[in-house]
Amino acid sequence: MKKGGFILLLGLLLGTAGFLGFYYFGTSSCRAMMQDPQPELAWLKKEFNLNEAEFARITQLHEGYLPQCAERCRVIAQQNRKLKDLLAKDGTVTSEIQNLLIERAKTRAQCEAEMLNHFEEVSRAMPSEQGHRYLAWVEEQTVLRAQPMESRHNNNGGNRMMMEEPHR
Amino acid sequence: MNTNQQHESDDPLRKVLHQWVVDSPLPPRFQEQVWQRIAKAEKKPEAALWPAILRLIEVALPRPKFAFVYMAALLVLGVAAGSWTAQIKTNRLHSDLSLRYVQSIDPYRADSSNQ
Repeated sequence: MKKGGFILLLGLLLGTAGFLGFYYFGTSSCRAMMQDPQPELAWLKKEFNLNEAEFARITQLHEGYLPQCAERCRVIAQQNRKLKDLLAKDGTVTSEIQNLLIERAKTRAQCEAEMLNHFEEVSRAMPSEQGHRYLAWVEEQTVLRAQPMESRHNNNGGNRMMMEEPHR
Repeated sequence: MNTNQQHESDDPLRKVLHQWVVDSPLPPRFQEQVWQRIAKAEKKPEAALWPAILRLIEVALPRPKFAFVYMAALLVLGVAAGSWTAQIKTNRLHSDLSLRYVQSIDPYRADSSNQ
């Protein structure tokens, strides 16, 4: 019994050690990324196989872009507040409200254009093949991504609903 | 005594047995008690599981061939489970970080959850 018990325990310890060892080594790259000051950029470096020089340039572009992005967000937030005040004051859509809506749409469009410029710059800082891959991926995730407003009227949703219930 | 002779000698007994009529009633809950006894008898093999495991540890495990196979199986199982779990964690982290990157550059995705 003593020998059998010892072998039983040894087997369990061996299995546990195998599990922990492979888990530890398998997640070492994750731990390294999470220790980086900007883990999302560390992920970008790994995902697009960037060397140190390319990574430094992209980090610089990223850090340069963020304050501009924050400024545009501040302007849009300001416009939203103004719109809220105007809507609360006037019961109807006045010309001032219309102008503000156009202004806000312009700011948003500028925001998207600047975002695309940034993506282009980042992709140019990468090796050609990776740059193309980055651009395709990031555009799909951002500006080309279907927003709830558009997807609400896609072929499988809105039209079918209208065909099924035409006189509602 | 051969079989024919035995049959002949049993004849009066057979006659008496054929005439015997049981008129006493069955004890109360007789059927239920029978089923309980059957259930008890069926449970016995389960109860013997633990001694079987103990016997396996005592007798089979100390054999070198069996011990080697047992340890190798547990090691392979541990390694496979560790690699699989690490892969799942790595994939999830990559997905989270890619979303964080997108959220950092796209204000329209900044408040979106994991999708």
